[in-house]
Amino acid sequence: MPGFRLFLVILVSAALIAADARFEKLTLVRSTLATGLAPVYWLGNAPSRFGDWFGGLFISRDDLQRENEELKTRMLILERRALKYAALASENNELRRLLNSAEVLDDRVIVGEVVGISPDPYSHEIVINKGEGDGVTVGQAVLDAEGLMGQVVQASQFTSRVLLVSDSSHAVPVEVIRNGLRAILLGSGEADELDLVYVPDTADIREGDILVSSGLGGRFPRGYPVAEVSEITKESGEPFVTIRTTPKAQLNQSRMVLVVFQPETREEEPVPETSASDEEEAR
Amino acid sequence: MLSVISYPLFALSVILSLVLSISLFPVDWFEYRPEWLGLMVFYWTFRAPAQFGVIMAWCLGLLLDILESTPLGVNAMGMALIAFLVLTIHQRLRMYPLPQLCLMVFLLLGINQMLVHFVKQLVGAESSGFSYLWPALTSALLWPVISSLLDHINRKLG
Repeated sequence: MPGFRLFLVILVSAALIAADARFEKLTLVRSTLATGLAPVYWLGNAPSRFGDWFGGLFISRDDLQRENEELKTRMLILERRALKYAALASENNELRRLLNSAEVLDDRVIVGEVVGISPDPYSHEIVINKGEGDGVTVGQAVLDAEGLMGQVVQASQFTSRVLLVSDSSHAVPVEVIRNGLRAILLGSGEADELDLVYVPDTADIREGDILVSSGLGGRFPRGYPVAEVSEITKESGEPFVTIRTTPKAQLNQSRMVLVVFQPETREEEPVPETSASDEEEAR
Repeated sequence: MLSVISYPLFALSVILSLVLSISLFPVDWFEYRPEWLGLMVFYWTFRAPAQFGVIMAWCLGLLLDILESTPLGVNAMGMALIAFLVLTIHQRLRMYPLPQLCLMVFLLLGINQMLVHFVKQLVGAESSGFSYLWPALTSALLWPVISSLLDHINRKLG
């Protein structure tokens, strides 16, 4: 009897695995079940929230005041920068209008908190506490204060799953901010290293160059910093140089993240590794 | 085998093992994270083979698939396999002394890990030697603690 049941569930499992991994038919089932599992995510995050709360009980008034002062100073500096930015943005749009091209709108963002990371040590994914209920959809870019972190690959009602740029199945189209040189940034499976691939060894690229998202894949918004070139190795005889870069975003530290809503929403089929597979086919 | 089992304890232990499989473990030691849900499936099928079986284990595995975002059905199949193997050999398992039982936990969870690893490779994950067997080992080491704890509570409540 158990043998028959085992046979039955193995058949069902095989069908499910095929439907899920090959044809991606089960997005709805997955997001429904994930919504049902929201309490588990909540409980899983409870200890660290409790720790924060407990730590908060024992902060002295002086510390708080000092932090408050620091934050106010910082806000002043950033506000001054934002003022300048607003003027520049309007000037930029003015110029674009003169050139008869479309105006650039500012991206809208919502702030989310990291509530979990992938239990699989070989995949770089995080879970954030914003889901379909907040308007998050598959394919949106996720940033932290320093740079691009990854993209939403699965959204349930209250949480969504973000594939980080360092995952080995992830690729971002980027350009060098200094001269606009385009390349593809692949995840390496290490949280502190990304590989810039297919750069010819005559290309103008140096250590310390900042790479920003080029927006060419149509998935990531343009102009967010992604990584900084840390090491360039030229090997004679090889057509391409080996370039290692460090991600700008604090991939394994950030707790607060920003989910970007691009102003012009494109309707695309939600395929998680679109940017990766597209780029690979395009070569 | 216990004559009575406590269903609330079953529910609680399952929820707790699901929570533990996504949190409360140092990130650097992820490789060694015990297969909590596998342990629970082993324990409950072993203690109450009449009540829990293949189908229940499969459903629990499905939940783990969601949490780990593996293709739906991978862990489900593994858990069902654990339950099936426990059901097949549970007459003998009851006779085993504790160290031998731990060995069986290691073997069965190891088989589960191998199956999961195999299917993941089929659908395109990267290979990583034999380190995927670590959870089976840590689970086997935890088995005496977990089983005696659950036995104790079961007797109190049952």
